[in-house]
Amino acid sequence: MEDISLQSRIDVLSEEQMMIQDSAVAFIAQDTELKKVRENRFVQPGYDMQTWAEMAEAGWLGFLMPEEYDGIDLTFSDLSLILIQLGKGLVPAPFSATAVLSARTIVKTDNESFKKARLPALISGEWMPAVAWQEARATLDVKAENVTCADGKLNGQKLFVPDAGGADAFIVSAATAEGTVLYVVENDASGLSIEYAQRVDGGFYATLTFDNVTAGEQLASAAVAEQALASALDEARLAASAELLGVMTRALELTVDYLTQRVQFDKPIGSFQSLQHKAVDLFVLSEISRSVLLHTTALFDGEASDKERAIAASQLKSRCGDAALQITKDAIQLHGGIGYTDECNIGLYLKKAMYLSSLWGNPSAHRNRYASLAL
Amino acid sequence: MTDYNAMTDDDFRKMLYNWLVENYPNELRFLTERMHWDECGDWYMTLANKGWLAPGWPTEHGGMGLDANKLLILMEEFEDYGVGRTPDQGMTMIGPLLIQYGTQEQRERYLPKILNGENIWCQGYSEPGAGSDLASLRTAAVRDGDDYVVNGHKTWTTLAMDANMIFTLVRTNKEGKKQQGITFLLIPLDTPGITVRPIYNLGMHDEFAEVFFDDVRVPVTNVVGKENDGWTIAKALLGHERIFIGSPKMASLAMNRLKVLAESTNMFDDPLFIERYTVLKLEIEDLSAAYTRFVEVLKRGGHIGAEVSMLKIWNTETQQRITDLMLDVAGENCGVSDAIPAGDTAVSAAGEFIGARPTTIYGGSNQIQRNILAKAVLKLPS
Repeated sequence: MEDISLQSRIDVLSEEQMMIQDSAVAFIAQDTELKKVRENRFVQPGYDMQTWAEMAEAGWLGFLMPEEYDGIDLTFSDLSLILIQLGKGLVPAPFSATAVLSARTIVKTDNESFKKARLPALISGEWMPAVAWQEARATLDVKAENVTCADGKLNGQKLFVPDAGGADAFIVSAATAEGTVLYVVENDASGLSIEYAQRVDGGFYATLTFDNVTAGEQLASAAVAEQALASALDEARLAASAELLGVMTRALELTVDYLTQRVQFDKPIGSFQSLQHKAVDLFVLSEISRSVLLHTTALFDGEASDKERAIAASQLKSRCGDAALQITKDAIQLHGGIGYTDECNIGLYLKKAMYLSSLWGNPSAHRNRYASLAL
Repeated sequence: MTDYNAMTDDDFRKMLYNWLVENYPNELRFLTERMHWDECGDWYMTLANKGWLAPGWPTEHGGMGLDANKLLILMEEFEDYGVGRTPDQGMTMIGPLLIQYGTQEQRERYLPKILNGENIWCQGYSEPGAGSDLASLRTAAVRDGDDYVVNGHKTWTTLAMDANMIFTLVRTNKEGKKQQGITFLLIPLDTPGITVRPIYNLGMHDEFAEVFFDDVRVPVTNVVGKENDGWTIAKALLGHERIFIGSPKMASLAMNRLKVLAESTNMFDDPLFIERYTVLKLEIEDLSAAYTRFVEVLKRGGHIGAEVSMLKIWNTETQQRITDLMLDVAGENCGVSDAIPAGDTAVSAAGEFIGARPTTIYGGSNQIQRNILAKAVLKLPS
């Protein structure tokens, strides 16, 4: 499939970045037919543990992590090159949720001995934690209220925990007398019940209900918990946006390919001006999105305040969420009837866009946050 | 000479702002129309004397030599202060083109006169029968000794009444492919046989003009590049023009006025308005990211091709959506020609709205831009 993005035309990658990108391109080339996506969808845990092990082997899980925890300390610009390809290949692995949100939450906490003990295991793929922070639909607020911790017991409910099926443990935010604190809870803790909702893309969201669950190790004190969570979430939003860019880019490539091949009225339908203009509008949307991603990764790689990062993450997530939905919707339209069938792969891109665009705040939620922080 | 690129961004901003406060005329802030020379000549010369007329040109040609980042900062500071556009086609179009394609003699002859205000340039491309299909132009230049004799009719020539020089595309060969018989020719507007007639636009402003050529003699040394090679050069210049109208400047300016208008009518108390405003604000912020990405290419000495059309599409259509919202905020004042008092200034919603109409038409209509992207970038079939 020809790369129609402007990356090769106008952007410059370092030699190391070229190597990173090439390895990710080769990785997704193993499954261009998306067989793995179809094999793993709607079946717990909704992703492929073998793929996860291969990613760990490639060193990708430690990309953003400091060397002292066995990471390789690369940048968001570097990581985005991998994430874009994961989006293009619809790779069934909880990369943004685990290698970004979980890992980055832990690294920002104040429990040094826990970090030293567990982060290497996360990076090597042996230990998979999931963050349970959300307590309401469409909220970006990390302050815990519903889940409480008193006398060492957790009670309450967490919603929309993505990719929880394979998780060994949960990082749970809970309200205490001191404020929000993070605890580690094993997946088989007594009193913890997990209910799954099947997602359109084939994965699962979990609802965790805590009924006098014994709080495990305290991962973050009230002094740092909210900030660690909020900051890691903004990094995860960047990661999800990079995946969304991959999703929209490949959906557009598939569509342009289809417009070129499909013949009606004795002509390829891509010769009709109304379809050309539609395709161009989608292309422009994808490149605007890519520009905002480049801008945001550079900002995250530099010296920016938490507020500046929050503004940038909201700008990026609202753009990529909207653009991916728009592009995949119109991709279905441009494919015509075949696009509405499950056997055609284009629909898998629409469903991935539906999931990722709403994960960790949908475009409207992020525009609201942008307005309150930046106007 | 000051190395502006070595300054911190903050220092550079402060320097620009302080200088504008001291030097930019208050009555020219936040105008909705292009300024004529009688309004802005003094300001043009103030910029010229400061050496800030051509911020993007290399210093060896008398520009400020700003890198992409500093150039964007300068544009931001100027637009935030409400600085109006001068007749700037010398700086933005013919200057960069001569730096790239002109002979040494042409550069020495014309560049200093742009920088000292002696030459004000306008563009003679479009004709009544050659708009989107520019290559079908018919204004003819016939060789006669050391001169060409030019006959024809140019139109949509912005601010021709203020200019004393025009850069034109003329037909020097009627055979073969229409793109191959076009020459790029520089013509002084005081040459006998030239008539300029203003055209009033929907804003009731004589921003455009028609230019008639009747047996006008032009020396062959005024050709830029080679005879019959003008199309290639013009395409390069259209590239310059497209990056220019892809800059977030005008949309930001419209956004600033929307903000002033909205503040004066307490619209920021309305959550629905805030939502609509935020969408537009993000359209501009995202455009800025894309624009910076393209400018970086130029800064590296790289080439920008057809893909730059995306900036023009995004910018101009955003600008129109901003003025749509402005009309809505204006209420009944939507139908009022004069500016409406707003805060310590005045905003003409109707003027903004009407002023945004041509942006999707000029410089290659947005439909033409989409045709270009479909073929040159997406490689869709004909």
